[in-house]
Amino acid sequence: MDHIDMQQIKNGEVNLGTSIMAVQFEGGVVIGADSRTTTGSYIANRVTDKLTFLHDRVYCCRSGSAADTQAIADMGHYYLQMQAQSLGSAPAVLTAASLMEKMCYQNKDQLSAGIIVAGWDESGGPSVYNIPLGGGLFRQPWAIGGSGSTYVYGYCDATYQEGWGRDETINFVKNTLALAMSRDGSSGGCIRMCVITEDKVERLFVPGDELPRFWEGREVLGEAKKPTINRDVVPMAVEV
Amino acid sequence: MATASVYSSPGFDFSNQIRNNFLAEKGLPLPKATSTGTTIVGCLFEGGIILGADTRATEGPIVADKNCEKIHYITESIRCCGAGTAADTEFVTNLISSNMEMHALTHGRKPRVVTAMTMLKQYLFRYQGHVGAALVLGGVDSTGPNLFTIHPHGSTDKLPYVTMGSGSLAAMAVFESGWKTKMSREDALQLVKDAIAAGIFNDLGSGSNIDACIITPNHTEMLRNVEMPNERETKEKSYKFRRGTTEWKSESIRKLIVSEEITPIGGDAMDTS
Amino acid sequence: MSIMQYNGGSVIAMVGKDCVAIASDLRLGNQALGISSNFQKIFSVTDRIYLGLPGLATDVTTLRELFRYRVNMYTIKEEREIQPETFAHLVSSTLYEHRFGPYFIEPVMAGLSKTPSGSFKPFIAATDLIGCLNFAKDFVVAGTASEKLYGVAEGLWESDLEPEDLFETISQTMLNAVDRDAYSGWGVVVHVITKDKVVTRTLKGRMD
Repeated sequence: MDHIDMQQIKNGEVNLGTSIMAVQFEGGVVIGADSRTTTGSYIANRVTDKLTFLHDRVYCCRSGSAADTQAIADMGHYYLQMQAQSLGSAPAVLTAASLMEKMCYQNKDQLSAGIIVAGWDESGGPSVYNIPLGGGLFRQPWAIGGSGSTYVYGYCDATYQEGWGRDETINFVKNTLALAMSRDGSSGGCIRMCVITEDKVERLFVPGDELPRFWEGREVLGEAKKPTINRDVVPMAVEV
Repeated sequence: MATASVYSSPGFDFSNQIRNNFLAEKGLPLPKATSTGTTIVGCLFEGGIILGADTRATEGPIVADKNCEKIHYITESIRCCGAGTAADTEFVTNLISSNMEMHALTHGRKPRVVTAMTMLKQYLFRYQGHVGAALVLGGVDSTGPNLFTIHPHGSTDKLPYVTMGSGSLAAMAVFESGWKTKMSREDALQLVKDAIAAGIFNDLGSGSNIDACIITPNHTEMLRNVEMPNERETKEKSYKFRRGTTEWKSESIRKLIVSEEITPIGGDAMDTS
Repeated sequence: MSIMQYNGGSVIAMVGKDCVAIASDLRLGNQALGISSNFQKIFSVTDRIYLGLPGLATDVTTLRELFRYRVNMYTIKEEREIQPETFAHLVSSTLYEHRFGPYFIEPVMAGLSKTPSGSFKPFIAATDLIGCLNFAKDFVVAGTASEKLYGVAEGLWESDLEPEDLFETISQTMLNAVDRDAYSGWGVVVHVITKDKVVTRTLKGRMD
């Protein structure tokens, strides 16, 4: 028993089979997530908030086990509060991200957590850090995560451009998440977004019936033909 | 073992684990504990929270208790419904209730629902799901009404209406079709009753009666067995045996002292002043 | 084959009018092999509390001693006799302490508790192997014949039985349930507890 089967342990656990995203733009970051939490095939929460507060201008997007990511986020929140109090200034996004990375890496055997840390700080401006499953810290202009992200890497690569403003970035996040949610069964519900800038944190909400819609398919084989009855055919005479 | 105190060191005792693992390795499966294959719900309404639960406890396919209490006391204005391993829900809620009382005493004010929620989630997370308690926590505090679900691994959700346990799907179907914002107390209680009834009649793990608990800022009303849709018919006939039916081989009677009378003999009673 | 069935044995407790009864079989087995026909599973805790311990025989002995120790310590510290409700919680916490390495015992308790007015109130309780308490108003069962006991007791039990009637009901419930359980039997012992006496009777059972 040197290696513990995680799948066995985590059976029946609440999962954030998720689509999450963070994109940096001039002056801020936009983070977004779907709102679905599942236990197996049951949706335990359809309006989940996966955009979690770490500090005034630093948020994280959580994917993986709900319990693990909540615990990490709570710990991170606690440490950043303590640090802000003792240093007397708001922590940098990198500080928050490396703190979260440390927890993810050191406990990698017991955790299933994929986290994106994003925010704004005095020294570095807007920034996005990706912390994938076993730890590791990567600064990216945009990051996507969760089970739904695999469906939209191509879309992001093809669409993203540097130099976008706030509204274009919001649209990019909204469209990407809508595409991911439509293809991934473990993602869905509505879209929650946050725009973090120097001045404020603005929360945006897109209800499930107002998601951007794309090509959704049509009957490829054309309309089914009605069966035609040939009136000429006379019923067979039956001998009595 | 040989402690001089009745109170052993706190926490769990793992001394039987080696033996039990040995037995399990020999192919003897570990037996099941009582579980409350339950329907528990919670619902927000105008002015407070209503919690609801069924009253069946099961041990595999056997109904172990037909009228157990699943709405546990945390504080006067915070209550908690438990599903999952029955012993775990019982002890976890007792522990947190005790800690909440201590918290209230040290800080000199009413503790909040989030405090109980945080204590519960941190405790459950520490045990990585091995303490199998699935909870619905509800109450009213200085911030207003609060309602949470807590899963065995320690994740929490904050929602206006929640269900848990094996009957959660049936109960959620009722909530999803009937819940509205700012419901009246009467409407909300009826909805909670309907949700539990859906669990009782459609889920095998849930049954018997409906318990409810209405929590408002200055009053908590525990409605034990508000509805009893499955009362047993009274027997038409007495099944008493004629005395002497059972023959016995031996009999021994132990006489007990029912009351003692103390008569002081001679002199005055001892001076105890 | 579960560890709970390894040695066999069953216990039942019932409430009557101002009395309680607790009964068990007398078999000790090693799986299908019978070893003893006089294995006591019921122990008196105080004059008016009896405790039945069906399950793994090694744990019957261990827990019996552990409870004797803890009840003695309670009596010394509190300078009073333990009440059934308190004892039930002592049993429950002791078993839950071993939540992750349990004793394979499902205790059944029966007793009379003293009310403030000085009269006695019937009390029965049972717990599962990790200490989840079940306070029933009618009867509690445990052991390898528990499924049969549930059925028979559900049919035969009625409220307010006099001690002599309660003896008949619990005896017949036990004898008939145990006859359909391969791991229980080989004689039955019944204790009927009333406020002024405890009547203990040994019944003859099938020896196969």
